[in-house]
Amino acid sequence: MIHLKSSLIAGLQAKTPSADAVIAALRQAVKLEHATIPVYLYALYSLDEQKNAAIAAILQSVVVEEMLHMTLASNVLAALDGPSPVGDPAFVPTYPGPLPGGVEAQLTVSLAPCSPAQLAAFLIIEQPEDPLHFKSVPLTEPDTITIGEFYAAISRALGELPASAFDPSGKRQVGPDLMDGAVVVTDCASAQAALQIIVEQGEGTATSPEEVDGTRLAHYYRFLQIQKGRALVPDAAGGWAYAGPPIVFDPTGVAGVPRDPDQPPYPPGSAEAFANDTFNYTYTSLLFALRDLFSGQNTSAQLNRSIGLMMSLKGQAKAMMAGIPNPAVLTGPSFEYRPTPAA
Amino acid sequence: MSYLNALRLHFAGRFQANVSTVNNDPGHFDNAAFQPAYQQMEGPRMNPANGWFNPQGDAAWRILGCAVTSAFTPAGPAPTTDPIHGCRVADSDSQAPAKMVDLDPEQQLVSQIWGLQVRITTPDGTTLLRGDFDPAAFIDIWDRATVSQGGDADASAMYQSVLRGLVWGDVSTSPFLTALQASAATSGLLSIKFNVDAFNLDYTSPEFMTGRIVGTIGPATADEPRHMVLGRQLMASAGPAGNFFLPAGGINFCVARLDDAADVVFLDLGNALFTGQDAEILDIGDLSLGVYDLRTPPASPPPGGVIPLATLPAQGPAGYATAGWYARTAGVVALPVPASLRPLVERSPLVISSSAGGKQFSIAEAPSGLFVRADDFVVRASPGDVVVRRIYATRFGVRAAGLTLACAADDSQLQSQVGSGPPYVMTSPPVGTPTDVLQYPATLTTDAQGVALLAVTIGDPGRARWFNGGADYGIDGQVYGVRASVAEGGDNGPPNPWNFISFLVWSGFSLRVPGAPTWHDDLQPIFQQYANLYPVMLRFLDLADVESVARNQRLLSLAFGLPPEDPNAMPVTRDLSPAKRAAILAWLDGGMPLGTPPAPAAPRTTPAADPAATTPLRGGKALAASRRLALRSPR
Repeated sequence: MIHLKSSLIAGLQAKTPSADAVIAALRQAVKLEHATIPVYLYALYSLDEQKNAAIAAILQSVVVEEMLHMTLASNVLAALDGPSPVGDPAFVPTYPGPLPGGVEAQLTVSLAPCSPAQLAAFLIIEQPEDPLHFKSVPLTEPDTITIGEFYAAISRALGELPASAFDPSGKRQVGPDLMDGAVVVTDCASAQAALQIIVEQGEGTATSPEEVDGTRLAHYYRFLQIQKGRALVPDAAGGWAYAGPPIVFDPTGVAGVPRDPDQPPYPPGSAEAFANDTFNYTYTSLLFALRDLFSGQNTSAQLNRSIGLMMSLKGQAKAMMAGIPNPAVLTGPSFEYRPTPAA
Repeated sequence: MSYLNALRLHFAGRFQANVSTVNNDPGHFDNAAFQPAYQQMEGPRMNPANGWFNPQGDAAWRILGCAVTSAFTPAGPAPTTDPIHGCRVADSDSQAPAKMVDLDPEQQLVSQIWGLQVRITTPDGTTLLRGDFDPAAFIDIWDRATVSQGGDADASAMYQSVLRGLVWGDVSTSPFLTALQASAATSGLLSIKFNVDAFNLDYTSPEFMTGRIVGTIGPATADEPRHMVLGRQLMASAGPAGNFFLPAGGINFCVARLDDAADVVFLDLGNALFTGQDAEILDIGDLSLGVYDLRTPPASPPPGGVIPLATLPAQGPAGYATAGWYARTAGVVALPVPASLRPLVERSPLVISSSAGGKQFSIAEAPSGLFVRADDFVVRASPGDVVVRRIYATRFGVRAAGLTLACAADDSQLQSQVGSGPPYVMTSPPVGTPTDVLQYPATLTTDAQGVALLAVTIGDPGRARWFNGGADYGIDGQVYGVRASVAEGGDNGPPNPWNFISFLVWSGFSLRVPGAPTWHDDLQPIFQQYANLYPVMLRFLDLADVESVARNQRLLSLAFGLPPEDPNAMPVTRDLSPAKRAAILAWLDGGMPLGTPPAPAAPRTTPAADPAATTPLRGGKALAASRRLALRSPR
């Protein structure tokens, strides 16, 4: 379980928190929801999908929902007229490092090819406060909060804001017409509903590993299937068991790319540096496109531009990691802010 | 106007053209004979040829590391205090990279750039100007490098287009950019031209699939052509050797413009001068710009028949053969014309000449001063379409009204092959047949603006390029060439082989059951061919597998529905006919029915590669150029 610095919600603790404090916390939430995406993508794109199809599908499904979470938090932010942090130079996390707002000593997140160790790190990231069938991790560290507590604090603070704090028009919202599962935020209730989806998709409910919609597993349990080696399925007794089809990790189906590829940076002028710089320019372009999508250009054309950049990013990453064009050169993308083309 | 202007900036850097090369061999379009090896990297010296030199290319075309190298206003060079110095030229930071696309496997010499957004930025990437580049094809490809790296690496070509949809940032601190913005206030356009050369074909190099780009951005008016300068066209004669084009006079096709406001000739030598060691411009002696003295017959000038106007030195501070000159100027120079000679310059051919090492170099305007070219010289069309292309005529750089033009079929620069041979896997289908598919007038007359509209009615080429005697799915449609030229007599100078209109005419396409496309009955061969030719798609899905296609229905509906100007449009090659596109979209949106599987056919085999075969040429363009009909049957 990830613990965040309690200072993140300090501004929300007032009896009547200011809209600025809520906006600051929501900007932090957008950063946090984005921060796991490069980590999951790095693992996903390292996989040979012929050999690790089930694991790739799990990672892909989680990334899609993290993207939704980033959108949901952005919708709440936009409803409060808060500026999107997406695409700011400081928006991009440093890897290896703690998740944004995270307690540094607790978990250092790395970009790494898929491995049992990396999957274990994913489980820590996604671990619920009260995992089912697991002993609860004692909360001993002072001055820390869980992600659930973080969102609960934002949600409570939203309830303290005057109704006039919310843009009722829905004008800058990325709605379900553009993204499956998105919530148009126009008032406190819809804002709180949007945040609730984030928490429940990530952690599941208190009684079931399923997400709130009851059709998909929460992220934690999706990843746990890989560790358990089998899909988690409903059992005859009405509960759940890791008794479904095998989900076996094939270590031969993973690209031999480095862990934390900018440690040290690729040598200037190398093929790796060129591919990585070009990737990072595309990645930064995607962040710019998403910033615009979340900031009033909520059109299908803008979404399509963003999807186009995602596809370009995927194509580049898979080629780099697979040794295309030169099988002797395997390059892992470093997911860094780069607003200028490669030289 | 145009980029060839007192107000202009130059930029230099590199570009990437990460094209896929499986489709370089027309035989690879034969689904029935396709081999898995055709998706693999070629062997040494193309033995085996496999999928040629970049089978995994994704067609991305990128601007890399380009810096503004100089800027000028009518008052002269922009002061060093102007922040334009230090600015960058970049592609989009908010949409997918542009794509470079051949028209056809049998017309690979008009590759177009689609979906390019050009930006001028501060050093940290902040956008000062954003504009969309009208899709454009290269022209005037030639054998530029005298220190050969082989094939495409030796070639140079140029692109000219306009930027539109201009979005300006805060340019108030830059007098130059403020002037450029003002120049575009009426037209909403800027003119851009760049030269590309020194392409790298070594897949172990960090510069693989990249080359040098050097260019110019300047004003554009709404009523001038987008892809050419209405200027003084200096015409090169073809030399006896060369792969692409080797100018007999040692200087390639280029354009000059006599300025209206000042007694200056702007001359663009950016794609005209040979390169030598390290791709620097080769010293061919001081270049003298002169004008023919009309008192002597210009076709056979006696000694003294050329009146010198100005000299561009090879060496010294402004020497064109010195390091950095090309990047700094993009080959564009402003040469003074004595006021007393301006009337002569306006009605008599310009000539550039030099000598070095006992050799003479020269290039001149046609004695008649007449020049004719289609602005947009690449056409994709379907049966029943009427395609109109604007043809501009000039006489000594001035719009030529009332001029009679002749229009005729000319397939001589299209690329086909008689007899199979390495690296090609089979005999390529013929081009230009059937011959009655394009209908257009044999003559046209230019209007008061020196413009003639060529209207071409498009017929149906049928299965002209199907394989196995027409039994097996093949290359869609047919390619044709149409050349417009001056019909009137007189010495109109040597023809430019590249100055013609290339047509890709798609075949008619009908569904087995009208209105009800199915995978097996209608679409499978189309998807199979794309899967074969573009292995890059396997990073996303298997286009040959209907289940994989169905799983990606939403993404495919999106991509196939995008206009070709969009960098994400599928297919990236822009070679899918509207009729087939409509069928695919209808199928994707209509439940994706499978239809009736055909009886399995035995795959045809192609001759095994000759283990001793190697090719001396490197690169797609070089091999395509070597297969032009013109080389087979000299005119």
